[in-house]
Order: sequence, then structure tokens, then C-alpha cells
Amino acid sequence: MPDTTFQLVMNLLGLGISVFIGRFAFSGFSVVGSPNLLRLTFAFILIAAGFAIFAGALFMEPAYGQAMLTLGLAAQTIGYFFIALSHGLKRSFDFAPSPRLAMVPLAVAPFIIPGNSIEHLIRSISFILLVYVSIETMAAYMQSRKPTTLMIGSGLGLLASAELIAWYDFIYPGVFSYLALAIKVGGFGLLFIPFSKFGLSSGGLGGRVNSQIGSGV
Amino acid sequence: MAYRTHVSIIADVLATVREYSYEGYDNGASVTHLIRKANVPHQRLSTIVSQLKQSGLLQELPSQSRYKISERGLEFLNAYNNFKGFAESYGLKI
Repeated sequence: MPDTTFQLVMNLLGLGISVFIGRFAFSGFSVVGSPNLLRLTFAFILIAAGFAIFAGALFMEPAYGQAMLTLGLAAQTIGYFFIALSHGLKRSFDFAPSPRLAMVPLAVAPFIIPGNSIEHLIRSISFILLVYVSIETMAAYMQSRKPTTLMIGSGLGLLASAELIAWYDFIYPGVFSYLALAIKVGGFGLLFIPFSKFGLSSGGLGGRVNSQIGSGV
Repeated sequence: MAYRTHVSIIADVLATVREYSYEGYDNGASVTHLIRKANVPHQRLSTIVSQLKQSGLLQELPSQSRYKISERGLEFLNAYNNFKGFAESYGLKI
């Protein structure tokens, strides 16, 4: 297991980044009432909750700590699901694949998702969701050519790699969990860079305008 | 044309009005300008404009049926553009 201090610092860093992004997404939802921003809010709140649970698990007895770790992973997987859901619901890209192709991950899942541990299972689902979200974001980059989209897509790709490496740590326990945690926080760092450009002060109008103009949420 | 949400239509209307509300040009935007540039049918535009006036984002000028963006409207439009950029970074639309 990686050093406790290193894990604590990395988890707190991940917690801070996801709280900031979640707060920004929520202030966006309260101003413009976009369902996608609401889903991003849920996603980052759950991801932040996952990091908080990981940090808490460091101070628990090993038996409870393992259960907490699984709970944190589950929270983050639901968070990734909300981001994937937003991509799944969009219909605006001309070159988007047929909706029937969305069944492919479900069909493949039984062959690549291990059934011998809940933690394995959750990490595998996280990996599949993150790969899907990363591919969708990269597809959006191919269309918009915005550097911020490239950064987010790369960040999500790094998160997927971190899940894969963490999963590999089950087979060969050792340094992989250090590496996975560092890559995961690096991925969140990439998600934070474009976000920091937008600033933290855009929620000034609050929900008032949204409720007055009836944004059609 | 791609599908537009209600809030994006509102942003288009406000952006059009802003084009006609700069300093030294105080005539404001007419309904015809809004219909043409924001690409909204007249009936829907009337509803949107009355909502925007009620919420203080648009001001009706003394010369009837001409509109000017308010400070609050500018603030909303800037916030909208910020959040639009944020959502687009994730490959999403608002």
C-alpha cells in the first residue's frame, strides 16, 4: 500500500479539484438551467465524495478501510456514469455513431468484467465509462478543435488509465497503486486547467434569472 | 440548423440586441432585426421578449418595439458564454 501521507495529499487534492469543478457546474446550472450542467454537478459531487471517503478510509481499521474504499469507488463510478449519460443523451453530432452501437460496451462487459471481487467489478465499470467518455470528448474535439476540449479528453483518458493500472495492482500488488493514484490526480489536474480559465465568479446572477425566464429544463 | 435549447435562443436574442446597443447607437434593435438575426418566429419572439423585459434583461425604448440590452442582460450573456465554454470543453451543449 502506498504511503499514507502520499495517499492523503493526493486524495485531498482530488477532492479540492472536484469540489471546485462541481461548484462551478452548479453555479452554471443555477444561471442557465442546463440539464447537462446539472449532471456535471452530480458527477463532480459524487467524485468529490469518493475522494473524501478515500481520505477517511486511511484513518480506519483495515477491515473497515477496505469497505470504505469500495464505497468511494462506487460513488466515483456513479459520478462517471453521469458524465457518460450526458454524452449518451446528446444528439447533435453529425458523425455520431448509431445509438445501437451504445449496446457494444454492454455486450462486451461480461467478458472483461471480473466477478471475483466487488472492487474489481466497480473499477472495471469505471474504466469502461471513462473510456467511453474520453472517446466522446475526443470526438467533440475533432469537431470543435478547442484546446480545452482536448485537455478534458486527455484528462478523462488519464483517469481511465489510472483505473486500468489500479486494476492491474490486484494482480501484481506493489507500486502500481502509487502510480494509479498519481495518474488519477494528474487526470483531474488536466480537467481543472481549462476550468480555471472560466473563473469562479460567474454565478452572480444565481437562480433568479433562470426561474424568471423559464429556461425549459 | 442544429437543435437550439430555450436558453440558447434567449442568448441569441440577447446577443442580437447587444449588437444594436453599443455606445453612440442608441436606437436599439427592432423586432424585424431580432426575427432575422436570432432566427426566431414572431410569435415565439414576442413571448421571449416579454419574459426578458419582465426579468430585467431587456429594456424597451420609448420608440415602440425597439429594444436595448440592460446591464443585467449583459451580465447574463457573459455568464452564459462562460458556462457554454465550460460545457463545450466536456463536449456537451447547454
